[in-house]
Amino acid sequence: MARKRTMTLNLTEAEMEALEELARKKELSKTAVLRQALRLYQLVALRLENGDKLFFEDEEKKQAEVMVL
Amino acid sequence: MSERRVELIRREDNAFVEATMLDGLAPEDLLLIERVWGPQRLRLLEKLLRRGVPRKERPESLHWDWGLKSGELRLLEAKGFGVICQDEWQGAMLVRTASHFTQLEEDKGKPLVYGDYIEAAPWNWRVKVLGQESRFMGVGSILFREAVLESIREGFHGRLGLHALPQAESFYETAGMTRIGQDPDKQDLVYFEFTREQAQRFLGDGGAV
Repeated sequence: MARKRTMTLNLTEAEMEALEELARKKELSKTAVLRQALRLYQLVALRLENGDKLFFEDEEKKQAEVMVL
Repeated sequence: MSERRVELIRREDNAFVEATMLDGLAPEDLLLIERVWGPQRLRLLEKLLRRGVPRKERPESLHWDWGLKSGELRLLEAKGFGVICQDEWQGAMLVRTASHFTQLEEDKGKPLVYGDYIEAAPWNWRVKVLGQESRFMGVGSILFREAVLESIREGFHGRLGLHALPQAESFYETAGMTRIGQDPDKQDLVYFEFTREQAQRFLGDGGAV
C-alpha cells in the first residue's frame, strides 16, 4: 500500500454539501470521492494535453457537448 | 509496492507452491515482464503457424504487449499487479479505479474497479492444439480475486467490471458475474459485472474459479 499523507481541506458549505451528496449517492467515503475526483481530473488533463477531446453523448449518441478544462 | 503471499498449483505434481502477489507495479516492471514473455509469445505463434492453426483457435492475448501498456501506469487511476513464483512473473493485471462506473440498474453510476488486462505468462497457457499444458494453474483466478479485493480496498464494495475475450467468457460466468452483453465500443467483446452481492458471494465461496 502506498504511503499516504494528510492535508486539511477547507470547503464552503455548498461544496461540503455537494461532497456529502456525492458520497451518499456513490456509496463512498468523502475521502474516496475526492480521490476519485483527482484521478479523473488527472486523466482528463493528460488526455487533453495529448490533443484528445472530452465530450458527452446522450442515450441515442446524438448530441455531443464538448468540455474544455 | 506491497506484497502478499498467495499459492499456485504446480501442474506436474499438483502441489501448492508459494508465490507472491505484488501490488503497485512500476512501468519498468511491465517492460521486464514483456522482455521475458514476448519471445515466448513469438515461439508459440511460430508453432501455431507451422501447424496452420486458424486465428480464432489461437490464444487470444497472443498479440498483447505489456511494454506498450507501461505508460498507462502514470495515471493515478491505473494500478498494476503481478504474481511472482520461482523468480519468474507468472501473471500480470492492470486495473482502473476511476473512469468506469456500474451499468447494472441496481447500482448504476457507482464506481467500480475495471479489469483492463489480466493475463497469465505464456507458459501457463493451456494450448491444447500444441499439447501445451500450463506450468502453474490458478494464476488468472488469483489475479481476478485480487481485482475484487482491490474493489473492496477502494471502497467500491467488490463491484468489478471487465470486457472478456471470447475464450475467457466461461471463466467469468463460472465466477458468477452478470453478463451484460456485447459492447460495440469495445470490439464487440462481452461486458461482465460483479455487483457487491455477487462479489461477496464469490469471496465467501473462497474466491476461486
